[in-house]
Amino acid sequence: MAELRAKTSPQGSDPARGSLIGKRIPKMDAPDKASGRTRYIHDINLPGQLHAKILRSSERHAKIVSIDTRAAKALPGVHAVITAADVPWQRPIGVAKDHLPLKTDRVRSLRDEIAAVAADSVEIAEEALGLIRVDYAPLPVLTDPVAALAPDAPRIHPAPQGADGGPSLKPGLPVAYTGKPDNVAMVMEYAQGDVAAGEAGSALVVEDVFRLHYVTHCCLGVSGVIAEFDPSGNLLLYSNTQVPFLHKREFAELLDIDPGRVRIIQPPIGGGFGSKLDIYPFEPIAIFLAKITGRPVKLVFTREEEFLASPTRQPVLLKLRSGCTKDGVLTFREVETLHDNGAYTSWGATTPFVMMQTVSSLYRVPHCRYRTRAVYTNNPYAGSFRGYGNLQATFAVEAHMDRLAEALGIDPLEFRLKNAQDPGEVTPQGMHFKTCGLKDCLRTAAERGDFLRKHAANRARWSDGDPVKRGVGMASMLHVGGGAKIYPSDGCGTILKIDDFAHVTLITGASEIGQGSETVLAQLVCEELGLPLSAVTVVNNDTDITPWDVGVHASRTTFIAGNSAIGAARKAKDKILALASSKCGDAAEALDLAEGCVVKKATGERVFELAKLIRSLHFSDKAELVMTTHYYEPPSVHQDKQFKGDVSAAYAWATQVCEVEVDTRTGIVRLVKVTGAHDVGRVLNRLGIEGQIEGGIVMGQGYALTENLMVEDGWVRNPNFRDYKLVTAPEIPEIDVSFIETMDGEGPQGAKGVGEAPAICIAAAVANAIYNATGVRLTSLPFTPERVYRALHGAAQPLEWNVPQ
Amino acid sequence: MTIERYCAPRTLDEALEILRAGPVSPFAGGTDLMPQSQAGRVRLAPVLMNLRRIEGMGGIAENDGVVRIGALTTMTQLMDSAVVRERLNILWQACDHFASDQLRNAGTLGGNICNASPAGDTLVPLLVLDARVELAQKPNGRIETRKLPLAEFLLGPGRTTRAPQELLSAIEIPLPAEGFYGAFFKLGTRPALDISAISIGLGALHDDGCLRSVRIAFGAVAPTAIRAARAEAELEGRLLDQDVIDAAVQAADTEIHPISDLRASGWYRREMVCNMLRRMLEDARSH
Repeated sequence: MAELRAKTSPQGSDPARGSLIGKRIPKMDAPDKASGRTRYIHDINLPGQLHAKILRSSERHAKIVSIDTRAAKALPGVHAVITAADVPWQRPIGVAKDHLPLKTDRVRSLRDEIAAVAADSVEIAEEALGLIRVDYAPLPVLTDPVAALAPDAPRIHPAPQGADGGPSLKPGLPVAYTGKPDNVAMVMEYAQGDVAAGEAGSALVVEDVFRLHYVTHCCLGVSGVIAEFDPSGNLLLYSNTQVPFLHKREFAELLDIDPGRVRIIQPPIGGGFGSKLDIYPFEPIAIFLAKITGRPVKLVFTREEEFLASPTRQPVLLKLRSGCTKDGVLTFREVETLHDNGAYTSWGATTPFVMMQTVSSLYRVPHCRYRTRAVYTNNPYAGSFRGYGNLQATFAVEAHMDRLAEALGIDPLEFRLKNAQDPGEVTPQGMHFKTCGLKDCLRTAAERGDFLRKHAANRARWSDGDPVKRGVGMASMLHVGGGAKIYPSDGCGTILKIDDFAHVTLITGASEIGQGSETVLAQLVCEELGLPLSAVTVVNNDTDITPWDVGVHASRTTFIAGNSAIGAARKAKDKILALASSKCGDAAEALDLAEGCVVKKATGERVFELAKLIRSLHFSDKAELVMTTHYYEPPSVHQDKQFKGDVSAAYAWATQVCEVEVDTRTGIVRLVKVTGAHDVGRVLNRLGIEGQIEGGIVMGQGYALTENLMVEDGWVRNPNFRDYKLVTAPEIPEIDVSFIETMDGEGPQGAKGVGEAPAICIAAAVANAIYNATGVRLTSLPFTPERVYRALHGAAQPLEWNVPQ
Repeated sequence: MTIERYCAPRTLDEALEILRAGPVSPFAGGTDLMPQSQAGRVRLAPVLMNLRRIEGMGGIAENDGVVRIGALTTMTQLMDSAVVRERLNILWQACDHFASDQLRNAGTLGGNICNASPAGDTLVPLLVLDARVELAQKPNGRIETRKLPLAEFLLGPGRTTRAPQELLSAIEIPLPAEGFYGAFFKLGTRPALDISAISIGLGALHDDGCLRSVRIAFGAVAPTAIRAARAEAELEGRLLDQDVIDAAVQAADTEIHPISDLRASGWYRREMVCNMLRRMLEDARSH
């Protein structure tokens, strides 16, 4: 027995001995990734495969007069050149179903897809693109979201009209999208209490306008897909999607076939961060080309394309009005935002779901009003991105927490503690905080970051002669930590089989996008079954094999898929212990699984070797295998039409203290240290969670300081890593993270989701730190040297709220 | 664009022959040419010539008070050189701010000069060091060379006086006097892997509170990296007090013509040249 374990345990240690929970466990995919063995979609090539390229618009807003593809079609090596005219059966895609994969009569942004080529090589496909002639009739360009609301603004989505006066979006078939009389794509409004009464009862009211900029995900693995039809017309997609089961259905609808005939395989995905939640035109286009050519078609973006034609974080203009009593109790909050939707509607337009939660429920506020209008422009369109609106909302809310505290002469920590949520609270929005570590997060981050002492000391240095100032700032966040019930189900299925050698295959619907889910899921199963991690194989990337899951988003996978995996493991354990009980006579309740054996719970005495026991079940008269399934649906509810309801089974909390150095001669802000305290429910894989939090902090740092997708008049000016500045290794600050373990009752082993949390507070905390260093408050991101220098030297343009009602 | 021929000559002679037959796109590290041609900003000639295998076009040697640096010398090799670190330290500082380790391993000094970016990292220190460039060609079956000051070589963004049949073969730098003080400053959004919003080079000899042989150069504030003659004149031989620093900064302000682009506005560039030159002069005073 001991020998058996030694062979199967990694690194000579024995994780099966004692609990795996909270241990530092290397990610299962790390050796492959570190040694270059991982086969991403780029590395997959199917026999007979063609390569596809997309021709995008050279106009921001124009009518398409004509498209001439004759020369491209004649180029040797070209198998197909398609335009909207070749796929009259195409259907609108996206969150609001407001655009066609291949544009028909009109382009609305520079990423708009006009034609596509499938050829023997990428180079030939590229050359063919150069031979396609498009005549445009330019239309007035609208790139300012404020101007989009003007009565005489150009209409981005007028009711579709063909030359014959009929609908041209999708001739002859039902049109999901029928145009907009104005440029307003979406309005979301939320209210609780009585804001006027709240304001009347306020001793202090502050108001600011904030501007949040464009950033993009910068996944190292760019967007890509391979589409292939078998002779019966069944579709196989190799796809980087984060939502395979939802897409299976969408692609089936697109092709008007049974969803059962669509199979999606996800090769290892080089980062998602929310960018792969929607269907984008390149995916249907690859499918069209595969259907038309009868060959597998591969379409992988270049890096430049990834910058130009994948989604952005939602840019937002936000007005916040907040009040409190003279004792420092929050009275009301009123938010109005203008979201620049870009040319089409993707998930970015729905970020108010999350923003209003932060506004209403991060701290206790009796009266709130929230309103977002998302407007169409000729800009790139925004999708979902780690944090989903929460970076934007937290930036504004936490600036006001500092401003109110300062005006009252209360320190920022005390002011936050006074208004912080407690466990058990049900907020007016209906969120029930069964566990809530916010106050512990606040106190821990403040104490470990030496916040109060530094905050006072830095302030005292405002007027000394030193041009280099130090500042410290804090911000907290609330985010869903137990899934988010957006779809009919927020669940995940698991199939678990234990073979004759006690090797477990964990088949889960949950997608791995680098976040480390397969390791955590394996760990949770091993914890139940008393096995070492090496005894588990995780299968998680093929919709023909894996059970349903809603997708990887909303920080949900550890919580939802974890509970699902535990459920399946417990069923297997019950079956095994029942069998053992029937063989040894002890009650099943008196037995347990540990170290690859059935043991007596009381003494730990080994009764059976697990593999032998399972074989005895298999090779018997009543031959049976140990295979179980489990579907976990969290006990959360859909929000009602007023956006009220307990949408998540648990909520995650964090406070981050950021320390900065500001060179007032250059405006350079150096992030020196981040001290974070995160309520994660419970640490499952300590190594994994540390990596996830550090990575999130660095992503938040980029949002705060360096990253800026420069969109000017509809043009992306920096579609490359030279000019789009990610944080590089020398700038990464000292990071100190504490875990607040609130042991959530519903969470797997007490854990909550944490994927998005670490990126959310950084920009807000850095803004507060810059104020603490210099006495100057910045309300526009990012804090690049020039923006900070202008603000410090009175040369910044003040932000105004000039949005029409 | 189709590359008809790729060649990698072993000798300068052979390379110059190929150039004479032109048109040719020569490259060494390729760290500028590759992204520029990919982005469509540079059109590659039908012949692509890799210079890296030419013998005798690398290396750093000191002779008669002149340091000769082969055009193929990489940034990493410059940083590893004792004579660069000790006697041409301002160049060493610029290499230390140059892109990333990977690019420093590939990028060459000759390439950085011929790329003639107004923000080219090595150009500012080379101007401070009064560097000369050596150009070679083979017009009549015989290698001919000419030498000229770097300031005359640079014409504008991406433009130099190099004729299509010429190769930049070496850089020559007169060794500064012992005790020569050099300082390089580069401003970007992040400390590594960035292109200068501005850069400043300052070189001088300390003499009893005064600066002598003052040389000041700026990057990314004019069509080429430039020397600031008026600022130098304000400083030359004068006691480095606050009035003189003010005068030098004011003079510098008249010598630059910064533009607004992705990296910074013209206004901010001007502010930074003034603020940072002031800081560098104050640092030089206390040095």
